[in-house]
Amino acid sequence: MQQKDFAFFPGCVLSQAAKESKMSLEAIAPILGITLHEIKGWSCCGASQAQDVDPIAALVANARNIALAENMNMPMLTTCSTCMLTLTRAKAALDKGAKDRINEYLAKGNMKYQGNNEITSLLWILYENLDTLKSKVVKPLSNLKVALFYGCHSIRPEKSYNAKESSTNPKSFEAVVSALGATIVPFEKRLDCCGFHASYPAVKSVQKMSSQIVGNADKNGADCVVTPCPLCQMQLDIYQERYQDAMGSEIRKPIIHLSQLVGLALGLSNEQLGLDLNIIDATKLA
Amino acid sequence: MKILIDRFNGVDKFVQAYDLSIDEVKGKTLLALLQHIKRTQDISLNFTSACRMAICGACGVRVNGHSYLACDTKMDDLLKEYDNPESLKISPLANFKVLSDLVVDWEPSIENLRKIKPTITPKEAFSDKKGCVQTQAEVDAIKKQWDCILCGCCASECNKLEADSSDYMEPFVFTHAFRAAYDSRSKDALKHLKPSIANGLWMCVHCQECADRCPKGISAADDIAMLRVMAMKKGLKDGTGPAHAEAFLKDLEDTGRLNEIYLALRSEGVLANTTKIDIAYNLMKAGKMNPLHIFGDEEIEGHEDLVKMIEAARAANKE
Ligand code: SF4
Ligand code: SF4
Ligand code: FES
Repeated sequence: MQQKDFAFFPGCVLSQAAKESKMSLEAIAPILGITLHEIKGWSCCGASQAQDVDPIAALVANARNIALAENMNMPMLTTCSTCMLTLTRAKAALDKGAKDRINEYLAKGNMKYQGNNEITSLLWILYENLDTLKSKVVKPLSNLKVALFYGCHSIRPEKSYNAKESSTNPKSFEAVVSALGATIVPFEKRLDCCGFHASYPAVKSVQKMSSQIVGNADKNGADCVVTPCPLCQMQLDIYQERYQDAMGSEIRKPIIHLSQLVGLALGLSNEQLGLDLNIIDATKLA
Repeated sequence: MKILIDRFNGVDKFVQAYDLSIDEVKGKTLLALLQHIKRTQDISLNFTSACRMAICGACGVRVNGHSYLACDTKMDDLLKEYDNPESLKISPLANFKVLSDLVVDWEPSIENLRKIKPTITPKEAFSDKKGCVQTQAEVDAIKKQWDCILCGCCASECNKLEADSSDYMEPFVFTHAFRAAYDSRSKDALKHLKPSIANGLWMCVHCQECADRCPKGISAADDIAMLRVMAMKKGLKDGTGPAHAEAFLKDLEDTGRLNEIYLALRSEGVLANTTKIDIAYNLMKAGKMNPLHIFGDEEIEGHEDLVKMIEAARAANKE
């Protein structure tokens, strides 16, 4: 990869409960030739929740977020799949006709959405640069058996991502993890939902959904579950003990971020990757 | 190649393999393939279809665990989608009771449709003489949802329905509730909105399967979001779902970013949250939750402008 600069949108989860995701991303980026410039003054994307109360306010906030990245003249990069989907859909709404109206409101802060910027994710960047990734691997992970959990918003709805990748048979994640040399186990739940977005109102269903994912990974012999989405990671990691207990299961499985797995293959330490911050012990994976 | 079909004869479930040459598979629709198997190999195979042109909704089935409208799906596309596999697995729609082979029971879903009162009671302003005239914009607002052909593809893959259908309805039911509630001719949106809330409106997990699987391009997930917007506007805010959504908006307005402690407290209330003390403790111990955040966060750079923008949008969009 050529040295590549990105306007980095961390999203709320990376600055708080999934800070190890940010640490690991910032640790692998320079090795891969990526320079992250955190967008100054980015705001919460609404996470598809604020949208249920005040869709226009959420659209304005995201138009502003994208405009901030446009002002930096760099493609916008996020690792959170829900941020990715929310920003991508906001962009589509703006490009399909809402732009002029929303720009009237952005003008109150002397800002303007142009519509000339790309929004992308860590998974996509790695997928588009497999050769670079392969060339940087110093510690192939052939001894590590991983279950790959995509998470809904990295693939669905397919049309929101302009069918960039099939949502029934996606390949990007497998390609990226194969480049790291890890052993991918079969995993029937890989395209399922962890339930994060309804973890408050539908707790019983969500606990079942999350628990089945962990159970299925275990049944297929995975050492850990890897996910490109920090919200899925959080859901499956921090609630795991509680949910497994509630479902009468004793299975405990480390859940790690894609950036952490990449970091392991690049030879980085547990501390550099924040693996000691994961709730279910992930420090023995290295 | 092998076509594996999930069979059910009323007593036993089993998988049956049908060997077909690739020429028998190519160039057909999925429905034509099923008909071909029935005609040439196994007269006992049961499935439903009627129109063969994507308007009756009868022919939904699953292939490799994803729902498709059989008459509207080309085998060539499926072969490409699944990388020219040696076998494909055809099953009945999930989240329905199977009656026989690929035939499922629609009765419980129709009962759910009845709950949300899909017919419209017209406003007093309308009469037999005047009719129910709508503007183009009013038609456009609900046009897409009228396309629903009740094929069940969305319901088949709905992750919430799979986890527990006792407190949740099929995605298309919410689509029909939206269509009725947002119809400008409707006298009383609450008639459709209230049963939606009572039957799981806030429990959708946002998996987006419904939006992905619908052969008509309808997004039940979006319709659910719009019903929620209406519920909030009309002050129907009971429960953790609305509180959680409001907490996001409040943080956006207060500082520009989420505050994980406030979010939990506002969503569930202080008492309910004491049940999450173990999780909060784990997060703090791991250094992932800053207890000082209880005193509030700093505002993001440009926060004042963000608030001005939001206020301007609200003023302009006031009804
Ligand atoms: S987004 Fe909601 S309604 Fe649609 S399939 Fe998922 S849980 Fe069901
Ligand atoms: S919303 Fe779409 S997928 Fe669902 S029943 Fe209607 S047409 Fe079928
Ligand atoms: S047979 Fe009518 S929709 Fe397929």
